[in-house]
Amino acid sequence: MTCSPFDLRDFLLRELTAAEQRQVEDHVEVCAACRQDLDRLRLTRTALSSLADEEIPQRIAFVSDPVFELSPWRRALAALWSSGSRLVFAGAAMLSVALVVSPILRPKPVSPAPVLTISDAEIRQRVEAGVSRAVTDIESQYRARTEQLVKDIEQRDRQERRLLQASYEDDLDRANRKAQNSLRDGYGDSQ
Amino acid sequence: MIFRAVEDADLIQRAAKGNVEAYNLLVSRWEKRVYNYLLRITGNREDALDLTQDVFLKAYQNLRKLTDRARFGAWLFRIAHNEAYSMFRRRRPEADVEELEPRGAETGITVGGSSVFPMELSLTVAGALGRLSADQREAVVLKIYQGFKFEEMAEILDCPVSTVKSRLYAALDLLKAELAPLETRGV
Repeated sequence: MTCSPFDLRDFLLRELTAAEQRQVEDHVEVCAACRQDLDRLRLTRTALSSLADEEIPQRIAFVSDPVFELSPWRRALAALWSSGSRLVFAGAAMLSVALVVSPILRPKPVSPAPVLTISDAEIRQRVEAGVSRAVTDIESQYRARTEQLVKDIEQRDRQERRLLQASYEDDLDRANRKAQNSLRDGYGDSQ
Repeated sequence: MIFRAVEDADLIQRAAKGNVEAYNLLVSRWEKRVYNYLLRITGNREDALDLTQDVFLKAYQNLRKLTDRARFGAWLFRIAHNEAYSMFRRRRPEADVEELEPRGAETGITVGGSSVFPMELSLTVAGALGRLSADQREAVVLKIYQGFKFEEMAEILDCPVSTVKSRLYAALDLLKAELAPLETRGV
């Protein structure tokens, strides 16, 4: 930290105005600490300058080849794009064209479809008709299903009856045969 | 016959219109500076030469976009800076920006063969520069070796002038402590 009126590094790099430079020069003449600091900065800069620039090992040069040259048209296009004012002019021109062309090309507005007018009574009538139609459909479906169920039950009942009757007849037949056998056996004993 | 020094601006204007000879003359004026800048931030001659060629190619391709021809130098070094960092990023894609540049020990900064200074001093300076952070070293190279103004450095490095100044002055303090220590004053 120094007491110099301006930064000694600014002084070293000549970043001060002429008047400021003079003030620092006057100050370092009377201030040993700042003079010492400035000497060290100058020594540092001198040491840094001991690193000399190198020569480039290979010179750089470009050759003109027509193959890589832009065509006049592309060059004009590139110039147009690279120029701000020209670009603004081109933008304005495009906008003008758009403003002129847009009304011509714009599709004509289509008139909306006419709204149908219908009375409440008609709506109610249509709704009732629809509801009664739906009810009729459902009732006919239920009726058909019920009839089918009744038919199924009757058929099943007939089958069961037939089975029971067959079983009863078998039992009766078996009992008759048994009775006849018993009678025949009893008659034989009595002889 | 009147001889007049051809300004960079004239060459830039002609080169922008496709005059390759004008561009080659421009290259010959700047190639050594660009090469040495890249050499000091990459620490490798081969990389520095490859990058220098890339820089001038890219500059030629974008010359028409340069609106302020007076700022050609800063514009050219901005390309050089970007090319160098692109190379660091390609080689170490996982690294942070601060870690992209080579470490101090790897920075084999050249010592001038024709220097009037003793070789030992040059080696000491190279070592001290190598121990700076990448940002500090680049600030020293741009200011001390390339002589750019702070505004130009800010343009090249794409950061505020205050940041550039802070990096440079921190670097100067470190270099002062190492190259001109208190006990050796008056050497």
